[in-house]
Amino acid sequence: MTDIRLEVASENAISEIHYDGHEVRQPPLSMSEQLSQFARRIDFSAVENGGSDEPGGKTGEDAESMEDDEEEEKPCQQPHWPLESVRNKIRNAHTEICVLHDLLQMVKEKKYLVLDLVQTPQPQPKLYIQFLSLKKSLSNASGILMQGAERIRSSQSSIARPSSDFHLDLLRLRKNWKLKKVAANIVGDLSYSAVGSNFKHNSFFEVTKSDDDVTLTTPLSALPGSSPSIGRSSLRVTVPPELEGSAYIFVCIRKDEEDLCSAQLNMLDGLATLNAQPNMSPSTEHWQQKLENAQNVLFCKELFSQLAREAVALRMDIPPLVVANQIAATIFPGIHLLIALCHSHPDSSRSRSSLTAPHNVLSNGTINELGSSSTTASSNTSTDHHSSSSLGGGVSSLKNLHDKVLEHSLHQLFHSYLKSSSPMPHPVYAPLHAHPTRRVAGPQGLDRQQLMQTVTHETLLEQIIKEAQHNFLRLRTMFVIDQLAKELKDPLIFSHWNLFNSPTQSCVRINIVTQGFDSVIRTTLVVQVFERSLRCVCRDGRVMTLSFEPQELLNLLRCQVAQHQTAAVQSFSKLMGWTVNCSEPCLGVGSAEPLGSASAVVLTSPAGNKQILVRSGPCTGVSVSVAAAPRNDFYPSAVVHERRWDQLPGAWQEVRLDSMEGRNFLAKIELLMAALTAQN
Amino acid sequence: MGVTVLQTFPDAFRYGYKEVEKLHTRIAHLGAQPNGVFQVDCDTYYMNQQNSQFNDIPGSGSTVNKKLHILHNTETPASTYAIIESPGKQVTLCADLMFDLLLPRLSHMYTAKKNLKVETKGTRFTVSDFIVKIGSVSMSSGQYKGILVEVEYLACSVPALCWPILREFLQSFMGFCVSSQPPPYLQARFQQVQGPQDTMQQYLEKFNEFRESSAYPVTGSLSASQPGTTSTSTPS
Repeated sequence: MTDIRLEVASENAISEIHYDGHEVRQPPLSMSEQLSQFARRIDFSAVENGGSDEPGGKTGEDAESMEDDEEEEKPCQQPHWPLESVRNKIRNAHTEICVLHDLLQMVKEKKYLVLDLVQTPQPQPKLYIQFLSLKKSLSNASGILMQGAERIRSSQSSIARPSSDFHLDLLRLRKNWKLKKVAANIVGDLSYSAVGSNFKHNSFFEVTKSDDDVTLTTPLSALPGSSPSIGRSSLRVTVPPELEGSAYIFVCIRKDEEDLCSAQLNMLDGLATLNAQPNMSPSTEHWQQKLENAQNVLFCKELFSQLAREAVALRMDIPPLVVANQIAATIFPGIHLLIALCHSHPDSSRSRSSLTAPHNVLSNGTINELGSSSTTASSNTSTDHHSSSSLGGGVSSLKNLHDKVLEHSLHQLFHSYLKSSSPMPHPVYAPLHAHPTRRVAGPQGLDRQQLMQTVTHETLLEQIIKEAQHNFLRLRTMFVIDQLAKELKDPLIFSHWNLFNSPTQSCVRINIVTQGFDSVIRTTLVVQVFERSLRCVCRDGRVMTLSFEPQELLNLLRCQVAQHQTAAVQSFSKLMGWTVNCSEPCLGVGSAEPLGSASAVVLTSPAGNKQILVRSGPCTGVSVSVAAAPRNDFYPSAVVHERRWDQLPGAWQEVRLDSMEGRNFLAKIELLMAALTAQN
Repeated sequence: MGVTVLQTFPDAFRYGYKEVEKLHTRIAHLGAQPNGVFQVDCDTYYMNQQNSQFNDIPGSGSTVNKKLHILHNTETPASTYAIIESPGKQVTLCADLMFDLLLPRLSHMYTAKKNLKVETKGTRFTVSDFIVKIGSVSMSSGQYKGILVEVEYLACSVPALCWPILREFLQSFMGFCVSSQPPPYLQARFQQVQGPQDTMQQYLEKFNEFRESSAYPVTGSLSASQPGTTSTSTPS
């Protein structure tokens, strides 16, 4: 590797170029010429000017040096000899150094000259200006304090009295609703997307500042759960027009043209809040109520769309019909379940009436809904004369045709639907789209039945139909039992409905007793009401499954009543000392009953000379016959030792029970037995 | 999940299928409805020798191996049961079916003994609240071992509360081979709530009895083992 030398190009500068292109170069410079050339490049004046910035003190020297400069500048421009300027500069510097040296020598001696700090004169303190500045800063501070106090006072007063502060209202709004700022507008969201709903609908509302003249007072008491300062609001919310007004889902069970049972559903506390202010224009509504109403409309719409989707997909024997805003499903022959979305817009007068009489919306006004339904309700409620106390709330809720129980269970169903549709958090290693229970199935050792439950999924509409079926069947069972209890006066029929039941299963216990003789005998049976069937458990342990037809239950009850009569006579005879000769629950002789079979019992008096035959049929009722032995005296012989072997009854004679005294059948039998015993 | 009782039905003359048929007709008289089939199988893994040296019992000269049993039950189709059996102690794990895929990874610790695999297969019956499973036990080689009857009472979870009805039901179709005392496993947990793991531990207990009855035909022979039984399997 060779070193690279940095050298000046060895060629000299070109001084002249001839016409023939010959270049004449300058002769190379000698050493002294080069030195003088370099020295000329040094600009001592710059150094001198930079060094001569000492303030004062050397005015004399300054003048001299200025003269020197003037003297020297001329020769510098045309130097007599090459290093003249350099020499001058150095001589000047030498002179200055000598002077400085002498001065320092003298100062060091401290005899003649002493260096001392130069005293600058102090400025006079100006008290007036200080005072002014103090005053100004104090007034600034007091201003800040006053501002803060004013803010606190205003916020205090706004809490105390209804204020119209936009920002306070906005703060309250933010507590309950989702808000975000889009450009210059404030936009809120009404949808249920936070809890898993994916209903595509315009659910945004806009918040604006309202003018003062539109703020009117709204009654405070009518607003449930709203913030305390209600009276005036400087905040105005604008909801989409299709979410305005009020809405509810109307569920009703209808037989032919009359409503049997209905329920109305919305997110609010019920229709009471809607009906409380029917004449209020939308502009006077408070924003809280307005938003709640709008969200309620959204909820009802989402629910109805979900139900309509399920109704189309549902496979039943008679598939459900979805027409406009109605879903009609047949739950029993002739019994329909109607689910309708009622949305009343505040502007239209037509739907205003739908709030007060929702049936007209459903049936398009073809029937006099209120009249017919009220007769149904009265017929339902007037059925029970014995068991009204035991039925309790079930019957009283029928009075206004509005079934709170059905409504409550439907509410539970709808809310659980929203809850269940939201995806739950799950471990990252778990398989996707699996039922949450499926993840713990292995470690918890779930058996086949439990695993099957995770796979089968019941849609909302199916559950509603089941609940409606059960509800209807329960009502009809209640009606059948009460009708029979009203019809039959002799054995009393009590029914006790269980208060605790599931939405699709309930239980009634029926007691059949005779008034005044309830300690003698009591026939009990339990009827379990399911969705499409009834199960009756009788006292003797027989279990019968009945269909939803009311006649089957009626027949069963009539048979039970008929058997109760013979059983009552039988057990009553023990008290009276009569002997049961024979008893037959299913009588094979005599006229055939149109329904079931008659039962009979034959009794003999203690003396043995009188006999009573009681025959009880489900349809024909009770008939009593009496037979008496013809002879009253008895003489024992070798063949017949005892009197009872000699009593051969004569012909049977029927007793006319209705002309006998006595409150009921058993009382008459008691009278008959007593009379026949006394005849001996 | 109810209370499960396992009962060995004596089959002294090794009729096998005939005895099972007899039980089927008896249970049918009680109104039982056949409801599918069932299978319970048990694989046994032994801990490898080099890893189990710390298990040596000094003085006895024999090596006590920890055994790992892997059981499956068609009644709980999503689960695998792993039971580690060491002297005087049993640890039961109930896991996903994925656990089977984990076992090849443990092959350096545990080796499978293929010829120790036991399974019971048979028909499942339902009699209202009872589930009856009559199964015939066989080894992996197809060798018939005996009859095992499982009765589960669904309406109750605590053995103390339902042992009398279980005993009566068992005796109603199996006769006097059912003792009036509950089996030792249930007796130890008489007041506790039973789960699926308890069923599997009882199965393991019974399987071990079946294996032992033939594994040592000469030395450890019980009265139940037949002299004519040929045993092909020897433990480790």
